[in-house]
Amino acid sequence: MSLYDYFNWIIIPILGLSVILVFIRFLKGPSLPDRVIALDMLILISVCIIAIYSIQTNQSTFLDVAMLFALIAFLSTSAYAFYLEQRQRK
Amino acid sequence: MTKSLFLSNLILAIIWVMATGTLTEENFLFGFFISFTILWVITFKKEERKYFTVIPKLLAYIAFIFWEIIKANFQSLKESFYPKSKLEPAIVKVPLDAKTDVEISILSNIISLTPGTLIMDVSDDKKVVYVHVMHLLDKENFIKEIKLKFEKPLLELMR
Amino acid sequence: MKDILIMILASFGAIFILSSSIGLLRKPDVYLRISVTAKASTLGIGLMLTSAALYFNDYSVTTRIVAIILFVFLTISIGGHLLARAAYFTKTPIWKGTKVDDLAGQYDEVTHELYSEKHNSSIKPEKDTSI
Repeated sequence: MSLYDYFNWIIIPILGLSVILVFIRFLKGPSLPDRVIALDMLILISVCIIAIYSIQTNQSTFLDVAMLFALIAFLSTSAYAFYLEQRQRK
Repeated sequence: MTKSLFLSNLILAIIWVMATGTLTEENFLFGFFISFTILWVITFKKEERKYFTVIPKLLAYIAFIFWEIIKANFQSLKESFYPKSKLEPAIVKVPLDAKTDVEISILSNIISLTPGTLIMDVSDDKKVVYVHVMHLLDKENFIKEIKLKFEKPLLELMR
Repeated sequence: MKDILIMILASFGAIFILSSSIGLLRKPDVYLRISVTAKASTLGIGLMLTSAALYFNDYSVTTRIVAIILFVFLTISIGGHLLARAAYFTKTPIWKGTKVDDLAGQYDEVTHELYSEKHNSSIKPEKDTSI
């Protein structure tokens, strides 16, 4: 079994399953913080998928995208947290 | 004192790299190690000797933290399949010995990454920190464990 | 040989991420969910990116990956802290099985200052009995 096949048939389905599970929480989430944490997790999983994709296509340039995604995950989480807190203050 | 020793250590390592003529990471690390041992042999002042105990301690602490992170991951892998009745969450107030901002932020980062705990907030007068725990068995015991395991070695390193 | 090592690392990373997403789905309240995701995803992402670094085996790629891993390790715990704090301010219900809540009433309503001594304010989430 080559590396390409292994990633295609085992790793990517596991990651896809976890994306689906997190997305269920995103749809269900009773409160706004639930949705924000699910969104954060979604971006972090996509960082992993980009890493796997860069191995499959043999192009290391995609890792720059992964770095940007990690940055955006932190930025969006902190922005949402700030918004939630300030909304309460009125 | 520690700073000047670290600088001379670095300069000696660079000299080693220049003398051997091969610029690779391995060679630099090897030169750093050699100059570290040489400085260790030739220093006698008591306050200067501190530098040589700090670096091994720092490495041991980092290894310990990584081990704790790996343990935390395996524990949360197990906990994902637990039934709800086994959970005993709590928010506990833990008094701090760390005073400066750097110490508190490093400590809270470490606490967040280790098994079953999450920092909720640090109080504004920097005296206590509120920690969310997943399995609280005994409150006093938990506070003592955090202080002994993470805070004491960190403060020994920073001061 | 290198391929097998990459496979093992990537599988462990995928399993950690799957377990954290299962935890995200199953835990009863927000604080537990944040604590689960903050932990299991750090090592998952770290292992995945390490397998990419092993595959490319290049100096510039490795430094970039070390930067990403360090960044993720630093920011995930900070993001969790910010979200937990915001969730507490908005009085998101806490699970009914919570044993101790020392944070209840410690925040000031107006200035959002956190006290270390006993303080009585209205900022305390009610226990959620529906779950």
